[in-house]
Amino acid sequence: MIITVVDHYPKIPNPPREAKLRKAIHTYDQGKMTREELETVFDEVTKEVIEEQISAGVELITDGQIRWEDGQSYIARKLKGIEIGGLFRYFDNNTYYRQPIVKEEIKWKEPIILEDWKKAQKYAGNVPVKAVLTGHYTLARLSRDEYYKDLNSLVHAYADALIEEVKLLEENHVPFLQFNEPSIQYFPEDFNLFLDVYKKIRENYSGKLAIYTYFHTVIPIKERIKELPVDIFGIDFISRKENFEVLKDFPKNMALGYGIIDARNTKLETPEQIADLVKEALKYISDENLFVNPNCGLEYLPRERAYDKLVNLTKGVNLVRGERK
Amino acid sequence: MKEIKLPILPTTSVGSFPKPDYLIKARNQYSRGLIPYSTLHELELKATEEVIKMQEELGVDILVHGEMERGDMATYFAENLDGFAISGLVRSYGNRYYKKPIVIGKIKRTKPITVDMFKFAQSLTKKPIKGMLTGPYTIADWSFNEYYENKRDLTLDLAEAINQEALELEEEGAIFIQIDEPAIPTHPEEIKIAKESFQVATRGLRNFIITHICYGDFRPIWEELIDFPVHQFDFELTNNADKFYPLIENYGFPKDKYIAIGVIDVHSHRIESIEEIKAKIKEAFKYFKPEQIFIDPDCGLKTRTWEEAKAKMENMVKAVNELREEFAKEAYPTEITIKLND
Repeated sequence: MIITVVDHYPKIPNPPREAKLRKAIHTYDQGKMTREELETVFDEVTKEVIEEQISAGVELITDGQIRWEDGQSYIARKLKGIEIGGLFRYFDNNTYYRQPIVKEEIKWKEPIILEDWKKAQKYAGNVPVKAVLTGHYTLARLSRDEYYKDLNSLVHAYADALIEEVKLLEENHVPFLQFNEPSIQYFPEDFNLFLDVYKKIRENYSGKLAIYTYFHTVIPIKERIKELPVDIFGIDFISRKENFEVLKDFPKNMALGYGIIDARNTKLETPEQIADLVKEALKYISDENLFVNPNCGLEYLPRERAYDKLVNLTKGVNLVRGERK
Repeated sequence: MKEIKLPILPTTSVGSFPKPDYLIKARNQYSRGLIPYSTLHELELKATEEVIKMQEELGVDILVHGEMERGDMATYFAENLDGFAISGLVRSYGNRYYKKPIVIGKIKRTKPITVDMFKFAQSLTKKPIKGMLTGPYTIADWSFNEYYENKRDLTLDLAEAINQEALELEEEGAIFIQIDEPAIPTHPEEIKIAKESFQVATRGLRNFIITHICYGDFRPIWEELIDFPVHQFDFELTNNADKFYPLIENYGFPKDKYIAIGVIDVHSHRIESIEEIKAKIKEAFKYFKPEQIFIDPDCGLKTRTWEEAKAKMENMVKAVNELREEFAKEAYPTEITIKLND
């Protein structure tokens, strides 16, 4: 088993700790701080959230996406052909993202997450950091397309651009790469298109490749998960209880990202509750094929509660590990 | 039967206005225990007067009090109802954070929440002020829940509290009562809970009921939504018209209901031109009778600066005035009459 997280981590702590990043961004927006100074704060906060994840017991961490305003615009800003538009609600959350507006041919122009990953891995020392990108299908679904006017072409255009990044990550020996693809759950009819593109990605990446879904049901695509050329497939078992149906037939050729901590509610799971859920999964899934994590990114929680939840997640997994020794 | 007369294409706004710098500072000081509530409250009243004055000077038809006393639209109610605690900060977008409520016990309304501020604002103007409430489904959806077994129970208890508040606003003279439910489109599978609770929240009301719903896909819920017990729907359309109008084309819109269309992007610094706003309103004429349409920004203006909010509202009112002149030239009625059953 591996204890991991999905993607983002709350950017600011609550008093008495200082909301350093919020203050810095505000000061930068007012023109009273240089980009360089802001970048330093981003780095400091990234260090902090990496330390928090490690101290909570997370074994495969992320950089917390501290630089990301949202899952779409951080990537879109670094691609050619896209402008950043108005705010849209992010799925069923009281959280909003800026909509990418595709104006011209989408092209990769500069590294998107490579430098972030390198820094994070340096800060994390021996603990592996996974590289996380929003998947091309979800990017396409959350964009306004004023150029291709066709979902198929748009998804392939995003994929071709992201493959340039994937190649860079491969060259730099990034061991884990995850794509977040919540949108595919809402449009199961697009699964063939989805699959085609992941075959292309797989050809360019030899490390552990993951797709994570969240917020919704995977039941309509459950028979097809096994076709995906990935090593790990993440599912949210909190937002939709029916997803537990997937456990017993979960493909043997990949690991499960088992999302069982509610990252959208403050109610704290006990280590015992977590241990029970882990044991339930272990009835069907082998130890080495189980990644245990929250159901989605942690930014929907206040920072301190996110940490408490990770601590209990670790305790719960360790209870099971202890019993199995 | 009660009648309300308004100029055609009545102008209004969705609820919040930006807080002046002195109020932001005072809220901050108050939260750190540096000033007493009475000092903060005086400044809230001062800011409210300024918001009313601004709207009167711009010539807006139906005013809002500006929500100077509210931080977040769901959290404000949570702060004033029994059963809630307030959590730490959670990010909503960009560099904006809010304190998300946590339900920790049974929800009860033990005192009026919005009535005093409504009365104060209404005392400053002859124009109608809207009574502004957040709907039960949205408060429930935007709260952490550590107490109720299920969302329906939580939402229905909230609906009772909001209903008591709405009835009291009516008693105090609110002709327009707006109950915002922006969270409804995010869970199409819960539309029945949302509708049931909205029915409870509006039970016994006799005045003009509005619901503001924004930032969502209305398609999966349209058939349920359209017969909510309201007189008016208020939708955000600046970035969303391409999805919304086909829906009206396919399913129509009730002849006896009103629609407020958002024509101002509340999340951009750019001031929309008069021509641009007129074009947006004219586009709406393809789908609704002008007599059915109210004009407002997409959503609350609180994230803009005071100057941006004012400039945006000013162009919106000017655009409507130009359209009214065009109506007058064509001898089209320039007034509407809303009839309310007793």
